[in-house]
Amino acid sequence: MNDLEIIEKTRSLLGDKILEIANPALRRIFIKVEPEKLVDFIAGLRKNLNITYVATISGVDLGEFFEILYHFGHSNGSLTVRTLIPRANPHIESICSVIPGAILYERELQDMFGIIVDHIPDPRPLVVPDGWPAGNFPLRKDWKYERPEEIIPGGKK
Amino acid sequence: MKFQIPIGPQHPALKEPISLRMTVDGEVIRDADIRLGYNHRGIEKLAEERSWIQNIYLTERICGICSHSHATCFTQGVEKLMELNPPKRGLYIRTLVAELERIHSHLLWLGVAGHEAGFDSFFMYTWRDREVVMDLLEMISGNRVHYAINTIGGVRRDIDEDQRKKILDGLKILKERSEYYFKIGANEPTFVGRLAGVGLLSKQKVIDLCAVGPMARASDLPQDVRKDDPYAVYDEIPFDVCTADTCDVLGRTVVRIKELFESYKICEFLMKNLPPGDIAVKAPTKAKPNEVVSRYEAPRGENTHYIKSNGTNKPERLKVRAPTLANYPATVEMLKNGFIADIPLIFAAIDPCICCAERTVEIVNGRTGEENVVRFSELRALAEERFKKMPPKRNAVWPF
Amino acid sequence: MLNRLVRWSRIKSPWILHLNSGACNACDIEIVAALTPRFDVERFGVLLKATPRHADVIVATGPVTRQIKDRIIRIYEQTPDPKFVIAVGACAMSGCVYRGAYNIMGGLDQVIPVNVYIPGCPARPDAILDGVVKLLGKL
Repeated sequence: MNDLEIIEKTRSLLGDKILEIANPALRRIFIKVEPEKLVDFIAGLRKNLNITYVATISGVDLGEFFEILYHFGHSNGSLTVRTLIPRANPHIESICSVIPGAILYERELQDMFGIIVDHIPDPRPLVVPDGWPAGNFPLRKDWKYERPEEIIPGGKK
Repeated sequence: MKFQIPIGPQHPALKEPISLRMTVDGEVIRDADIRLGYNHRGIEKLAEERSWIQNIYLTERICGICSHSHATCFTQGVEKLMELNPPKRGLYIRTLVAELERIHSHLLWLGVAGHEAGFDSFFMYTWRDREVVMDLLEMISGNRVHYAINTIGGVRRDIDEDQRKKILDGLKILKERSEYYFKIGANEPTFVGRLAGVGLLSKQKVIDLCAVGPMARASDLPQDVRKDDPYAVYDEIPFDVCTADTCDVLGRTVVRIKELFESYKICEFLMKNLPPGDIAVKAPTKAKPNEVVSRYEAPRGENTHYIKSNGTNKPERLKVRAPTLANYPATVEMLKNGFIADIPLIFAAIDPCICCAERTVEIVNGRTGEENVVRFSELRALAEERFKKMPPKRNAVWPF
Repeated sequence: MLNRLVRWSRIKSPWILHLNSGACNACDIEIVAALTPRFDVERFGVLLKATPRHADVIVATGPVTRQIKDRIIRIYEQTPDPKFVIAVGACAMSGCVYRGAYNIMGGLDQVIPVNVYIPGCPARPDAILDGVVKLLGKL
């Protein structure tokens, strides 16, 4: 299926959940949905269009909002589903009930941004070290790291 | 009675720190758990403070084996952001280095698989041949790893006539030697029997758990970014997607060997049809606000980068997803109901490049609650002993 | 007399332990490539050992991440005296490209004392052999 066919089919079958669709380049489609309708939309993609391969889940810090992008791949390109959640109440529903392979990406989202994923099957932190102080989310724009002074053995003080 | 076995983070077999924790019942593994984070270096945060050109060198050092794949994926994405069209000759040279990297990575993996299966001479032979490829790469770019041949808009160094002849000669030598090994491998029933039936993963599970690369292709799923979403010059080169349908470690070995031969063919085609011209176009320092998704087929699977720019000379957000991370849930699934003695082989079969995944095995004796650290070399010795006692599987056949 | 014999055997054939503290893997593959027939470090009597308790020399690569810092200190203490540490690669010397990241301590010498530094990104197998031989010459 090429780009136009995918856009047609998505609009006709799942059009009530979509806020906007963009096709900025060959084989790249970006669809924006509301956070409440996300899981139904992805279940619809799986059932009707057979798009099941989640490449990764990215988070972007936009100040007032967090934008979450779900990158899917299919046999003729890549489709991305994006949604916005407010910074003051960062909750999003887990998609692991539809696609079990997305678990690790959701755990990373929780560690790096502090986004709380509801009904996630395994809520443990993924990449931050043991003993990392809670409440520090490295990829937020307002989190800065001050490097402590290094001691050079046998060198100048 | 359930035991839990820890492995890692320092173990001699796998060169990288990870920690696996497995719950075992006798010799059968019931559950497995992986602790990442030993290799987390915070690259995504660092990338936001470096300019576009500096980021090429940063993304190269995400991994030492597939360094060109990360650098090229990033550079491709930035070229799309800035709407540049690199010239054909530059793209041919980039693709040549990418295929040479695939050859060296698969030879490395074959050596490691031979070592884990107890076939040490195979390890020494393949790594000796890998040196031929490293010499070619050093001749083209100046370094054995981290080639730094990409720049935004093309490549940095050109190939002249003399180097082209040397590359074709080197490929001929490698092809002869590879055919010799695969004859040995196919006629060695102990080697084939060791790999058959281990680490089974059905096609439906591969689809559910989003596995990539040779793991998916060995379960009869023809998923390859070079065909699905062609980048560089792959839409002009004739090649086939290699699959196998045995769904186990033997299938993965066969897929990688087939890919090795395809890569030889692709490199010869590139060298025989190299077009004349420039190797790079000039690139601006700042990029307009835009976003792009860039995909690349690394030797281990699909590599995805998401880049967002905001009008300055630094990226707003860089997200990297390396192929080994996508294969982790599938690994946990494969380890369940397997034997302890098969752990080194299963883990080596996904071709782990943990440094790409940014991200350690622990066994706890369920009966008495005491913790035992079992070393990977002990596991390998256990595997070899157990394997010697079993009769060889006579019905395991080399599938091609 | 026995001491001199032991010292001679240690110099003639040091046993090394390979430690990866969060590196990109290039230096580690070069260390393993030093064992392969082209560079062949075993002709110097150097053996790659599995456990810290058998090792004389620790060969370490990679910038040290916070998660692995305690494990490195534990491994250093498990190695019996006399022991030597070789830091291979630019990452182990000072952090290479990753300096300033939130999860990195800096070079290896922020955590354990180091005897020999081998620069390079990655350090070639010839350079690694050169470094090991220089260490033996100092003993």
